[in-house]
Amino acid sequence: MAALKLATAWLGGCSGCHMSFLDMDEWLLELAGRVELVYSPLMDSKVYPSAVDLCLVEGAVANEDNRELLLTIRKHTRVLIAFGDCAVTGNVTAMRNPFGGAREVLRPVYLDNGDDNPCVPSARPSLPLLLDRVEPIMSVVAVDHYLPGCPPPAARIRRILEELLDDRASQEQLLDNPRRGHSWNVSSSIP
Amino acid sequence: MERIIIDPVTRIEGHARISILLDEEGKVSEARFHVTEFRGFEKFCQGRPFWEMAGLSARICGICPVSHLLASSRAGDALLGIRVPPAAEKLRRLMNLGQFIQSHALSFFHLSAPDLLLGWDSPPQQRNVFGLIAANRDLARAGIRLRQFGQEVIELLGGRKIHPAWSVPGGVREPLTPQARDQLLRWLPEVRQTVQTALAFCKRFLDEHPEEIRVFGHFPSLFLALVQPNGNWEHHDGLLVVVDSTGQRLAELSDPHDYASIIGEHVEPDSYLKSPFYRPFGYPAGLYRVGPLARLNVCTRMGTPLADAELQEFRQRAGRIAESSFLYHHARLIEIVAAIELVERLLDDPELQTGRIRAEASINRQVGVGISEAPRGTLFHHYEIDEDGLLKRVNLIIATGQNNLAMNRTITQIAQHYIRGKNIPEGMLNRVEAGIRAFDPCLSCSTHAVGKMALHVQLFDARGNVVDEVWR
Amino acid sequence: MAVLTLTIDERPVSAREGDTILQAAREAGLTIPTLCQLDGLSLVGACRLCLVEVEGSRRLLAACVTRATEGMIVRTATPRLIEYRRMIVELLLAERNHLCAVCVANGQCELQQLATNLGIDHVRFRYQFPQYAVDISHRQFGHDPNRCVLCTRCVRACDEIEGAHTWDVAGRGSHCTVITDLATPWGESTTCTSCGKCVQACPTGALFHRGSTVAEMRRDRSRLSLLVLAREKKQWLL
Repeated sequence: MAALKLATAWLGGCSGCHMSFLDMDEWLLELAGRVELVYSPLMDSKVYPSAVDLCLVEGAVANEDNRELLLTIRKHTRVLIAFGDCAVTGNVTAMRNPFGGAREVLRPVYLDNGDDNPCVPSARPSLPLLLDRVEPIMSVVAVDHYLPGCPPPAARIRRILEELLDDRASQEQLLDNPRRGHSWNVSSSIP
Repeated sequence: MERIIIDPVTRIEGHARISILLDEEGKVSEARFHVTEFRGFEKFCQGRPFWEMAGLSARICGICPVSHLLASSRAGDALLGIRVPPAAEKLRRLMNLGQFIQSHALSFFHLSAPDLLLGWDSPPQQRNVFGLIAANRDLARAGIRLRQFGQEVIELLGGRKIHPAWSVPGGVREPLTPQARDQLLRWLPEVRQTVQTALAFCKRFLDEHPEEIRVFGHFPSLFLALVQPNGNWEHHDGLLVVVDSTGQRLAELSDPHDYASIIGEHVEPDSYLKSPFYRPFGYPAGLYRVGPLARLNVCTRMGTPLADAELQEFRQRAGRIAESSFLYHHARLIEIVAAIELVERLLDDPELQTGRIRAEASINRQVGVGISEAPRGTLFHHYEIDEDGLLKRVNLIIATGQNNLAMNRTITQIAQHYIRGKNIPEGMLNRVEAGIRAFDPCLSCSTHAVGKMALHVQLFDARGNVVDEVWR
Repeated sequence: MAVLTLTIDERPVSAREGDTILQAAREAGLTIPTLCQLDGLSLVGACRLCLVEVEGSRRLLAACVTRATEGMIVRTATPRLIEYRRMIVELLLAERNHLCAVCVANGQCELQQLATNLGIDHVRFRYQFPQYAVDISHRQFGHDPNRCVLCTRCVRACDEIEGAHTWDVAGRGSHCTVITDLATPWGESTTCTSCGKCVQACPTGALFHRGSTVAEMRRDRSRLSLLVLAREKKQWLL
């Protein structure tokens, strides 16, 4: 059986969930032998591939780039996991929402006249459009599993990966029927 | 003018793309670094109680939350008008050292070592931490465990590895238990060995790749860092110093509240990342670098024996003031050596576990500035509160942001050296990205938000028509 | 006092005359989730988490305010009830800005505990993202309406146990909010005695001690029922 094709992505977040992923420490060595990492900020793929088995998506949808990437991921992935509180609920990334649209956050800040060094302005398409509302990823795509936490502890990430890997070794059930409705402990960040 | 885009820049923290602009003859005229993420911390933290900022600002970044935690706590200390108890100061330092070790280990092993070990032109699919595991399992394991050690320092103090809410205005919440201390001491032999292995590897690489040293961001510049009054390397609290390429001190601040007198912030319209510059020199002549290279250039000595020996060798190779951004990799490893030595010193310090760890006070000032050295450079948290304690204004100057001008200059230099015409081998583009990686940027940090960006923002619809614009 | 028997979740349970279904269930060791109910305070039946099915009634009944009767047949955990509970908690989470990760009550929060017990790992409803200002004008305490679930325990604690009636509810529907005095800042209240009972009563991180950082709030919610016992029955537990 070919190795499970694993991907990770980060949208509008802090990358803490990815750091928690790396906190699986030496188990990463074992994981490396059981999966093929096909897309991730931690590697050099620039284009999201097709036929991905599992993708962990960190971060909320905060701009157009996030949104487009998320739609692409959903289209080419069997099991999509909302990875961390920003992806599941919006969390800190969504804290700008109560202030109104993107302009309400950009404008007062940009009109703040603190610096004596004004720049002749002209935004180019290099920068993605900010969305008016930061959204958890389920607002944009169907999510198969939720892994809350800020960040989810490494042990929990490992458990879900092990379960999906073991399941795959036996019957491929979870990957074909992803909405089995696991309930993961929701208390996000008990320090 | 032809434009080649590298999108996204990978094996860094955060979101960015690079544009390489070619002139009519196919030669590189400029490379530009666009940071494409923005969340708005400086805005949405307004109206929150200032003592929440430590926990909130940790979420700026998942690699260096401790850096924000500490700078935020120090700004909070200033608002309370207190000096933290000695044990608290030392405990904070201990956690900062753990942070340095794990972050520098990540940068070297997980993010950059794939290039250094497997080669710039190696297949992209393998050129990552999993490829490192396949190519040299022992080295990968050692690097993973080095990072694990740093994380464990953080966890044993703060209760968790990422976003510990442990350092607060006034001090810290929990002491170090004797068992935790013993656990950390047991790690030391291994991590000392690991960083020596990494250093040997790095030095060999430098010997074999003089071209990289020459063209990966090699230019004179100013350097900014904290340093101890006696000239020793500093990672948390000290004099804020700017030196030039000859090593001459141009500025020396003992009070962080004066930072704005030497640091200005300039806006580029095509990046959410501002460009701080040394104010007396204006923009862009005031380009300066922060981080490991700067800290090593600014200090006279590291202050610990093994690290001092390494620093001496570093200076024999690079000169008293190292100018090549490629040497950030070497500098980073020397800082790990120093950090391990200082961790040991602190663990053996009886004052670490004596006395109060948290000072109590009410609000005594309404402006507080906290500085600390993050792994990537000097970090400033500036808070202004109302009389109840709600934040009215937040300004954050982030380590990586201060390297923005230098990063742009670095990738231009690399692109101009390696790229001719628009058919560019993937390995060449990787070298351009590697110029960014040398700085170990933290882009989630650097674009926490805004503050004083003067900008023209245009909102485009799907067809590319401008539907709205906002001018500064 | 008369004793009666009823059936809860197929189990025979005995209760005293006058007990509510909730009291009877708790005596028998059965858990029915609650939020607006707190021992020592009057009952309002507001949150609807304790809704149960009672045979013979077409409507669901709130266990905290419904008296147990002889021969009553009650079910507390049918699929329908569990689903409704989930919806209630998810609606509460969507209504205001509940950021567990950076909250003073993280790990000590009844709303969070309810969500955990119900196995909620995401909220199906659209987050409202309302805008509420934090009030930390009081010397000892703070009020963050972003975390409030309008259980009104603070209102009842202040009115019934302390007697000051500093807290009350203003507005209607989704614009309801708890206020101090006539919506003056808490620090300027002329009625507040700074006793802190409201802070003890609050199930979430909406009311807190000044200076509390993430997950630092510690409460003893049994304090209030102990005060009532002391006052009414002259019994002090040592």
